[in-house]
Amino acid sequence: MDRHDRVALAALLLPAATVFVAFFLIPLARLFAIGGSGPRGWSAYAAVLVEPRYLWSLVSTVALATATTVATLAVSGVSGVFLVRHRFPGRDLLVAMLTLPLAFPGVVIGFMVIMLGGRQGAVPEITDALFGERWVFAYSMVGLFVGYLYFSIPRTILTVMAAAEKIDPRIEEAARSLGAGPLRRVRDVIVPALRPALFAAGAICFATAMGAFGTAFTLATKINVLPMVIYTEFTLQANVAMAAALSFVLGAITWAVLAAARSASGSTVAAAG
Amino acid sequence: MRPRRSAAFWALLAFTLAVCAFLVVPVAMSMLAGMTRNYFVGWRSGLTLDWVLKVWTDYRHTVGLSLQIAIACLACTLVLGVPAAYVLARRSNAFTRAVEELLVMPVAVPGLATALALIVTFGGWGDLRRSWLFILIGHVLFTLPFMVRSVLAVMASIDLRTLEEGARSLGAGFAQRFFGIVLPNCRPGIVAGSLMVVTLSLGEFNMTLLLHTPLTPTLPVGLADAYASLRIEVGSAYTLVFFVIVVPLLVALQRASRPRGRGAAR
Amino acid sequence: MSRRQMLQAAAAIGTAAAAPRFAFAQTQRAICYNCPPEWADWGGMLRLVAQRTGIVVPPDNKNSGQSLAALIAEKANPVADVTYLGGQVGPQARAAEVIAPYRPARWNDIPATLKDPDGFWFTIHSGTLGLFVNTAALRGRAVPRAWADLLKPEYKGLVGYLNPASAAVGQVGVIAVNLALGGSYDQLDPGIRFFRQLQANAPIVPTQTAYARVLSGEIPILLDYDFNAYRAKHTDKAPVEFVIPAEGTQQLPYVMALVARGPNPEQGRRVLDFVLSDEGQRHWANAFLRPVFPDAMSAEVRARFLPEAEYARARPLDVFKLAAAAKTIGERYQKDVG
Repeated sequence: MDRHDRVALAALLLPAATVFVAFFLIPLARLFAIGGSGPRGWSAYAAVLVEPRYLWSLVSTVALATATTVATLAVSGVSGVFLVRHRFPGRDLLVAMLTLPLAFPGVVIGFMVIMLGGRQGAVPEITDALFGERWVFAYSMVGLFVGYLYFSIPRTILTVMAAAEKIDPRIEEAARSLGAGPLRRVRDVIVPALRPALFAAGAICFATAMGAFGTAFTLATKINVLPMVIYTEFTLQANVAMAAALSFVLGAITWAVLAAARSASGSTVAAAG
Repeated sequence: MRPRRSAAFWALLAFTLAVCAFLVVPVAMSMLAGMTRNYFVGWRSGLTLDWVLKVWTDYRHTVGLSLQIAIACLACTLVLGVPAAYVLARRSNAFTRAVEELLVMPVAVPGLATALALIVTFGGWGDLRRSWLFILIGHVLFTLPFMVRSVLAVMASIDLRTLEEGARSLGAGFAQRFFGIVLPNCRPGIVAGSLMVVTLSLGEFNMTLLLHTPLTPTLPVGLADAYASLRIEVGSAYTLVFFVIVVPLLVALQRASRPRGRGAAR
Repeated sequence: MSRRQMLQAAAAIGTAAAAPRFAFAQTQRAICYNCPPEWADWGGMLRLVAQRTGIVVPPDNKNSGQSLAALIAEKANPVADVTYLGGQVGPQARAAEVIAPYRPARWNDIPATLKDPDGFWFTIHSGTLGLFVNTAALRGRAVPRAWADLLKPEYKGLVGYLNPASAAVGQVGVIAVNLALGGSYDQLDPGIRFFRQLQANAPIVPTQTAYARVLSGEIPILLDYDFNAYRAKHTDKAPVEFVIPAEGTQQLPYVMALVARGPNPEQGRRVLDFVLSDEGQRHWANAFLRPVFPDAMSAEVRARFLPEAEYARARPLDVFKLAAAAKTIGERYQKDVG
């Protein structure tokens, strides 16, 4: 590669790198410093593990994000593969509908959950008609989970579908002709072929769920996910130091999971689509 | 090939339809609520566009600001992200891998944290703090990885090296190769990335909630306010306005992500 | 249809929609924290301010806790010019050194219990806490008449109150119940115990105003102010009743203050002048608040309130004592109730 090209490449990367360093890395460093400058000092960073309130909120957030990711991948996997494999009238419409909530802010998602499971929601009306009792789930953990599922499915299904398109049908044919039943084919052919995409999509899904705030904000449940706690710390008593420390821990955990997923799937961010 | 109408097909179709219903029914309910005279009474109270009109009168400026930020965000991510993706595609060493990891960070770090970081660092610059550019910075940080990812995926799947070598051997300079060969071949990735950036920017809430001021409310922020304090019909009408803007973009995104046959974009 | 054409079209739409904003940017303006358009009819007040003084004030939906936190976070470079706060947050804001003294005309007419002695904040109007009930959403159940009624199982899932850790009205709810059940500003046990018992009834606890949710039937019973209930009943014509609980309740003054080193101090002062002017006070009365100058309320408006006999059970709150207790209330609530 000649020198002229090397200079050109560096010049092309420079703007993005500059913006990134100036507006992200340096502010994050400052946030880190502020996290340790509050009344608790640097032990604020340990507070998330030591204080029951913060620890409980961290555990709930991780549990919720994990459950969301697993459920989302299962649903997206099944529906995504199905939609890629079969052509039927209305298929394109279905795909469009499945990606609809992609841009919705958390507030709208929370409202959708209230439409589904709030006091006047669709599901309580149905259960009222069937069982005589309204199942109002919007303000419980179920409602939060439903909300998280709601914004995660659209994000993952496109990635899964793109990867499913690339599965070589001849391998499956070979498996079938060798006597493998459908479930066996799924387990040994389809899932391994989708693995990189599932990891990549799952990682993004997990990250989004960990940082999701608008949904919990609207639903006002008793479950305090960590982003809500951070928000309350900041807006309650301007406890910037604690808010900063908690944000950092949340970001670090999420990033660690993303990195682990990337190395486990053995591919870069780019190749996984 | 497998028989098309097996029992498994119908079961999977039913499942997929159920998932679609789960996603779409609340949207339809919300759109209906935005046009109902009285939500508590239901559609029997009559349909009206009054609420939509009220939203447009009171909150038009949030729509304009959100569109303004989304377009500016797109411009920034194109200028910053496409060249960066090219570099990452051409060179693959420890440094570029580190750059890729770093670029993903704003997606991993919660939006609240990024906003807090910006506030503690730049909050003292009064004019910046009070302007819409402050929100733009946050949006660019968050959407840049998506643009880079989208373009890089396309670049990785086409044989850039051979194409460029071919052009270089014919005497094309660097700029000519970049604008004449590389970019046109990445068009699907650029288009998909652009649509992604615009839709993400329009819907961004976590960061914008902390970065905005009463002078710079975006659509999602206004929407949150409307749900909290106004009648639910107004909030729903506001959501309806949001859908009308965003749904065409989403449909276009879905079309642009669709592969065009063998050996294609993704 | 090329990408460039799409972008041009989008830019055109964006500019067209944003155009009114540019005009707005040239006029005189002041920023208010916590001026929600649908709370106490601030929407109407801001329109009136623009008409009479030419100052444009955009609405803002923060609650008192969020406003104070934002003011503290922005201390070095304030964004706001004036702020509206629950009474007990006034002394806290003064202690945090984010507000500056300003005495509008008629300062001397404001009772001493309703203003800061050194001019840092002053009451503009008050509201009485009670039960804001959507009778239709109760679906046949009786309207609750006392705090104790809320603990009854028939109201399970139907009761809501704003988060005491963040919203001023949330804190007032705790102290009002506490005082009604025999506690004091120092002795919070009765109130905390009540809210802990209330958790068994699955209450909904939003952070910001939940007016819309009462009207839509989502939260049939909300611990909120009389002015919100009267607005729902008379302006929005909803099936609403306001109940002053049998055990008694509190009246909270809401205050305003000038933000220290705000960007537009002159406009801020004029806005503060206006909210205390005759016209401003009349506006508050028409919005069903008790203006700090009682003569601004006409008999006609008075007739729409509950009778005086009911209001005898509502005592005015001591904002200084509540300010001192505010942090404890928040902490006790988070610790004992969750």
